Order: sequence, then C-alpha cells, then structure tokens
Amino acid sequence: MASRVVYARGAEAVLYRIDYMGLPAILKIRVSKTYRHPVYDRLFRYRRTVVEGRVLSHLYLLGLRVPALYFIDPDNYYLVMEYIEGLRLSDHLDRLPVNTIESIAYDLGRQAGIMHSNTVYHGDFTVANVIVKDDKPYIIDFGLSGYSRDLEEYAIDIHLLMRSIEALYPSHVKLFMESFWSGYKSVVGEAKCRETMDRVRDVRLRGRYIEERLRRKIKRERYM
Amino acid sequence: MKTIVLGVESTSHTFGIGMACLENNEPVILANERSVYVPERGGIHPREASLHHMREAPIVLKKALDKAGVGIEDVDAIAVALGPGLGPCLRVGATLARFLASYYSKPLVPVNHAVAHVEIGKLVNKLHDPLIVYVSGGNTLIAIQKMKRYRVLGETLDIPLGNLLDTFAREAGLAPPYIVEGRHQVDICADWGDEFIDLPYTVKGNDLSFSGLLTAALKMVRKARDRRQLGNVCLSIRETAFNMLVEVAERALALTRKKEVLLTGGVAANVYLNSKLDSMARLHDAAFYTIPREYAGDNGAMIAWTGLLAYLHGVVVEPEKAFVRQRWRIDEVDLPWLPE
Repeated sequence: MASRVVYARGAEAVLYRIDYMGLPAILKIRVSKTYRHPVYDRLFRYRRTVVEGRVLSHLYLLGLRVPALYFIDPDNYYLVMEYIEGLRLSDHLDRLPVNTIESIAYDLGRQAGIMHSNTVYHGDFTVANVIVKDDKPYIIDFGLSGYSRDLEEYAIDIHLLMRSIEALYPSHVKLFMESFWSGYKSVVGEAKCRETMDRVRDVRLRGRYIEERLRRKIKRERYM
Repeated sequence: MKTIVLGVESTSHTFGIGMACLENNEPVILANERSVYVPERGGIHPREASLHHMREAPIVLKKALDKAGVGIEDVDAIAVALGPGLGPCLRVGATLARFLASYYSKPLVPVNHAVAHVEIGKLVNKLHDPLIVYVSGGNTLIAIQKMKRYRVLGETLDIPLGNLLDTFAREAGLAPPYIVEGRHQVDICADWGDEFIDLPYTVKGNDLSFSGLLTAALKMVRKARDRRQLGNVCLSIRETAFNMLVEVAERALALTRKKEVLLTGGVAANVYLNSKLDSMARLHDAAFYTIPREYAGDNGAMIAWTGLLAYLHGVVVEPEKAFVRQRWRIDEVDLPWLPE
C-alpha cells in the first residue's frame, strides 16, 4: 500500500485507489470527526467498519455483484476492497439504451431481493451507489447497511432508490421500477413482493408526501 | 420608498407580532413582541394554547405597534403564518390577520412558517445561498434553495429533533419546565453523566429517524438507579441525536459543496448543536452561521420579514381564501425572490 492516490472524499470516509498485492483496490478509511465526542467517535467508526466488512463478505459469498473484501482492520477503521471500474448509474442512466436500463433494473431488483432475503439492508440504496460495469450493476458503499428482519428497512431501501431516480431522471422512474420489481419478485416471490410494495407506498406517504396522504383520507371518508 | 409589513405568528406555543420595514433597500425589524404559552404539566395542549393566543393577541398586537411607533394605518400589508402548525393555534392568527386585512383594507400575505425561519436566518447573517439546517419542535430538515424553492435534501421520517428532546425530558420526569435559564433540561441532566450508552443510531440515506432512539433511551431511564446513570442516558441521547443530524448535514454539504451552513429554528439555541455543526462546517471549509436567540424560537418578526419579501413580489391572498394548512411543506411554496 505504498502509493496512495485520493480517489474520492466522502462525508465520512476517504477512499484511496491502491494496488493490493497486484490487484486494483480501494482503501476506505473512516476519518475522525471533531464534532463527535472522542469516545463515541472511536466506537462509531469501529462499528461501521465492522458492519460494512461483514455485509460485504456475506453478500459476496452469496454471489452478489459487490466489491470483494480483501482486508479489514477495524481497530484502525479501514478496509480494502476490490476496485470496480465503471460508471455510476447516477451519472449516465439516461444515456443507456432502453433494453440495457431494463436489464440493469431487473438485475438490481434480483440482487436487492437476494440481499433482503438474507436479512441485509443497504441503508443508502441510491443510483449513486450503483456502478455499471459491462452493462451489469454492482452495488457499492455499504457504510449505512445492517442486518434486520424488519420489512420497513427493506422498503426504505427501495424507497431511497426510487427517490434518487425521481430526483435525477424523473422520466425513467416507471421504466426502471417496473423492471426492478419483476427482478425483485423473481427472488422473493409474489406474496413477499406485494407486501414490500405496499410498505414502500406507506413509506412514501409519510413525511414528504403528506398532502397525498391527506387526500387519500378525504377520499375514504367519502364512502363512509 | 418605505414599506412596512406586520406579521402574525401563531403556529404553536408562541403568539407573536412582528413588524418589518424596508426603507431605501435597508431592512429593519421594527418590533418583535410575543407571548408564549407554557403548559403547567405535560406538553402543548392545542386547545389550551389557542385559548392563550386569543387572550394575548390584542395585548401583543398593541405592544408591537407601540414599540414600532407605527399606527395600523401606516402598515402596507398584513402577513400571517398559515402553516405548518397546530390547527387551533393557526386559526387564531389567521382570524386576526384576516380581520385586520379586511377591516383596514390592507393586502393579506400568506407566509409559510418554515420558510420564515430560513429567511430570518439569512437576513440576520446576510447570507444568499447557505445549506439550511432547520430544527425545531415541529421540523427537522436539511434544505437548499434551487429553482425558486427550498428543496429538502433530508428530513426526519418520524418525530422532529425538538420533539425528541422535549418528549424525552417530559417522560423522564425532568420537564416541564423544558428550558431553565436558557438551557434545555436534557443539557442540564447530561452534565451529571460521564459515560456513553449505546443507543440506536438511525440514518437512512439522507433521512433520520428518532423514534427508536426515544424508546430505547426511555427504557434506559427506567433502569437508571441514580443521578449519574440518568445523566449518562441524557448525555448519550443528546450525543446520538445530534451526531445523526450533523452526519446528514455533512453528507448534504459534501454533495452540494455550499460555502455556508445556516442553523435555524428553536433548537438552534442549543450550544452543543452549534459547536458540533461549527466543527463539521470547518472540516469542509464552510462558514457556520446560527440564529440569535430572539429569532431562534417562533417569532412574529420572521413572518413580517418574509411577508415583506412576498408582498414586494406580489404574493397576496384574498382573506376569504386564506385557509390554514397544518401540513404545509417548505418545498411546496414557490418563492419569487429566490434565484432560479
């Protein structure tokens, strides 16, 4: 790990593009934050590093397209993982042909289905965290991920994905999500998929979509 | 050229009247009077709060006019916060404003309460395009201005930050009163502790969730045997909640690369939150600005000032159409004075 080039500077970590035993790799170091209490800061960075490493290796062993974990040192808050060369989906989704978007969305749905069936949620599942390499989607940045059996967490993943497409490529939402859901359904099955879709709708009706909820309520009252 | 706008605030526990004036392009706050409903026990009871507002409205109005040295005839427009807020409380302010506007034949200007919190922060700090962190008892959101609106980048999925701290303090038996000598009960109690307890930290994308944190912290309170243990819970809930907010703000700052961070809203009076956001902003070479205490909590001056901006851009409403909107979101309002 002799030569280090800063590859990206995120909010909580710095990424370096390195060479790890002859393999192109990314070194992710969680940096200390002055705004956190020192005790809490160490605990926090340690825990996030451990969870990220655990989730990465778990998903990799399940055969998902995620960076392979090469090395982890939670005491020094860093991990080394496979470097995935490609473009972020957030940067070029609208430049892809329709059938490629469909196959990417389907595959992403399939992968999300596998991930959720194994009680893993991503926590920041947006198009900025999907890298496209050889027309195949790779999911990256598991910094906010975790384990949960709560349907809510899975629904929020999909909600975040949908919201990120709405913000960047509003005209592609329908196309993308239809393929995504069929990919998701192919793994989790009809019933589970329906249940998740319903929960995603519930999530959307909270917070930012409050007026929508009020309107729905008024409509229901009309029949009572 | 001189324009004076009177602003009415009554969205929650505060009934306030403010007067803002623009003379030769120089903004001046002429008056900022208020009366705050303080519950004897429990939290804000909407009906009790609205009764308080009804009693106090004429007194506060008169005080504000006296303070400004302006007669109601000299006012150019009446601005009123029509939402978001508690229905019964909002209606008191709306009724008063509608009356003033129609009786004295003044234009009526609708103001979004959340927008007003941001505009007053920009005014006192002379900012043009900050990253906005708006935290109060009813709102917790991170926003930026874009295409003539405030766009929400992240927000709470359940309870707001101020609500978390107040509810915790109340359920833990620390409040009311919620604020003693300018400090929140949770801050006072946190001084008794010295150890961190692991509490749920919930950040989802750019959004926050505080309800799990509240439940877990209250569970810990029930187990606390002495003052120190209670202090530990207070210390931990504060550290966890503030870190969550600062992390989301940091992500938004890294994404938007703004050069200024503005903290506004009632919780902006909190010293710890200020220092945390300040050091976060430094990490990204951004300047941190906060809001003076008199404009942190709900106040009439911010409604008057925002009303003035709106009035100068032709935003008016017929009194018979000035309905209150309890859930009027900050990102639903077109603001003609903002850049494209």
